[in-house]
Amino acid sequence: MKKIYLASLICGAMMLSSNAGAVDSTGCGLGSMAWRGQSGPVAQVLAVTTNGLFFTQTFGITFGTSGCDPNGRISGGTGRMTLAFLENNLEQYAMDAAAGHGETIETLAGILNMDSETLGAKSKQNFAFLFENENADAVDVTLRLFQVIEA
Amino acid sequence: MRIFFLIAFFLFCVPEARAEVLSSENEAWLSLVHYRPKSFGGYESTVDSETFFLSPEGKTNPQAELEATIALFNSGDDEKKCLFPARYKLLKSHDVDVGKYPKCKDYEEFYQDLHPAGVTLLFTNAYMNNPSSLFGHTLLRIDTGRKGTQLLAHGANYGAFTAGQENSVLFAVLGLTGGYYGGFTVKPYYDIINTYNNIENRDIWEFNLDFTPEELDFFVAHLWEIGHTQTRYYFFTQNCSYMLMETLDAVRPSLHLSDEFPVQTIPLDTIKAVVSRPGLIKSVNYRPSRQAKIIYRVSQMNDTQYDAFLEAVKHQNWSLEGLNDDEKADVLETAYQYIQYQYVAKDLELGDYRKRSFKALTTRNKIEVKEYFEELKEGKSPAEAHDSMRASVGFGVHNGDGFQEVSYRPAYNSLTDDSYGMLSGAEINFLNVSARHYDRRDNYVLQNFDLVGIKSLFPFNDMFFPFSYNIEAGIQREMNPQTEEEGYVFNLVVGGGVSHNITDNLLLYALVNNHLAYGGFVPHNQWAGLGFVGGIYGNWGKVRLLAEAEKVLATSHFADKMKYKIEAAYGLSRNTAIALNYTYHQNYGHDLDETMISLRQHF
Repeated sequence: MKKIYLASLICGAMMLSSNAGAVDSTGCGLGSMAWRGQSGPVAQVLAVTTNGLFFTQTFGITFGTSGCDPNGRISGGTGRMTLAFLENNLEQYAMDAAAGHGETIETLAGILNMDSETLGAKSKQNFAFLFENENADAVDVTLRLFQVIEA
Repeated sequence: MRIFFLIAFFLFCVPEARAEVLSSENEAWLSLVHYRPKSFGGYESTVDSETFFLSPEGKTNPQAELEATIALFNSGDDEKKCLFPARYKLLKSHDVDVGKYPKCKDYEEFYQDLHPAGVTLLFTNAYMNNPSSLFGHTLLRIDTGRKGTQLLAHGANYGAFTAGQENSVLFAVLGLTGGYYGGFTVKPYYDIINTYNNIENRDIWEFNLDFTPEELDFFVAHLWEIGHTQTRYYFFTQNCSYMLMETLDAVRPSLHLSDEFPVQTIPLDTIKAVVSRPGLIKSVNYRPSRQAKIIYRVSQMNDTQYDAFLEAVKHQNWSLEGLNDDEKADVLETAYQYIQYQYVAKDLELGDYRKRSFKALTTRNKIEVKEYFEELKEGKSPAEAHDSMRASVGFGVHNGDGFQEVSYRPAYNSLTDDSYGMLSGAEINFLNVSARHYDRRDNYVLQNFDLVGIKSLFPFNDMFFPFSYNIEAGIQREMNPQTEEEGYVFNLVVGGGVSHNITDNLLLYALVNNHLAYGGFVPHNQWAGLGFVGGIYGNWGKVRLLAEAEKVLATSHFADKMKYKIEAAYGLSRNTAIALNYTYHQNYGHDLDETMISLRQHF
């Protein structure tokens, strides 16, 4: 009799705890979670702007810490939007770049104000450069993408 | 002649142009400030933030609030005026003298960032791993006019600020009693897609609303107003979906959407209400979950492709043996999607995840051939699912005694209900209550009052390993097998196990149930037990069948028994079905044998 009480208690506890491990859905996008490198986006982004690589926008100091804009909105010019987009959609863009087409390429083409077929072809051709290794992060890819487009 | 026209002009046009003076009883004003009629006369606004009201009596006095608003636009400070762009627009459109609207930097930035081009109502289907998502979820999207795609649109989500307590008992208590505040948050649509499609594997339905450009502007202005406020959040009533109804009413008061939800607001019902309004929906689009996409892609694979796919994702053998070039791209892209799925499901460590993703993509990148697989574009629209409430009448025989039964269930879906547009394999029953009349004894009894019944039967296969579970809590009338007397018992059953598909429409399941029972009628007032369940669930559209056997080992002989039950339904329409229930409990030779046939109606 006692054994059954005990067994049912243990079962109950196990079932309750197995549910607690669900993935946290409040994060700032899957891409940022999985692909973000250790290189510290803020420092890099600030370095980038002083190099003059981004041709349109300056970055806000607060930007880049979480992968989301602090007010939850898409804003800024081409550079900032591209980086914000890639920080949150890097895994999808990686797929689309490998194939040469897809929703993220159409979106980036809009942000970059270019033809999506051209961007698709360039992304596919330069995939190995854009994603140098498995640790490529959004900042790397953004910088390289701008090089690819300008080439 | 000219004079005639002139007279006509004065007669018909001038009074028209002056319009009616805005009254505080005006529907547009009432919906804009979220006033709802109180049961015994008067109004009260749903919004709880004091800053939303300009008059100290604003929450309950539409007239005072209207006067205070007019006063603000005539002599108030600009910063405050900037919080109420929609009120300004409404007053202005009724020719109320409100002066010039100031320059509002924050609002203009908000407007520019959104770059609004339309409004879409989003529905995400049920998510069985989170108690607050069992009924699905709705949110709004401000479509973007930016170049590119709607990934750059923004979602406006109304939710409770729960401080990460979602998995605790506290969450349930506070969620039901208004212990949390709710408010709007804005996020890029790509974030929302990631959350729902990719992390939680839920489909998203996009219902594009047919708003005029003025309505769109007014919507954004009102979102700005309401975005600065908070409202008490009640899980069943003033929840995510309800506030969206009030918000849409504020834009087009003639919709009267919130009137339809005086008590409970189930997200699916709000979708149906919106779809039912003539001319409100422009188009509907389906965005399947990642898992649904993977399943659809795998279903298009030939045997060689499927073998190569499993070799790659299971054994890291990426040679794709036996495949032509034009068969490879699809396999690699599916494998990549599956690796993403595995990582989110915590089946993969970050290091392995990155290595495998990179391998899949570099291999894919070297193939010049395009994909052949179709993308999943069509789904079963939740707007066409059966209605949430269900009533049924039936008759049957209980150990030789004839009976009639009526039951009512406010929400939501049983496994033997029509699953069209619902999450298949998921059962969510709330507050199911039944009463009976027995012929021989000629008495009326409450048969059961179930608080909750949740079953999640998702089959495992080569690729997915979901956990199946069962939760039941409620009061049932039971028979004491020794004395054959009847009485009430509170039963709690929590169980877990696995399911496996035999065919597309048929699955087997095995669960271990953990029983706890309490009641004055039970010997020693309580018992606990373990139940071993084997069952079969079939769903062929019109015909649904659930049959299970359970061996219960309990601390009381009262409950030690073998239970069999069969529940079958035949759908006459989406909302009507004939059901057959058979129950047999074997215990001490005083068995329970019950058959019932009933007519079920959803409404």
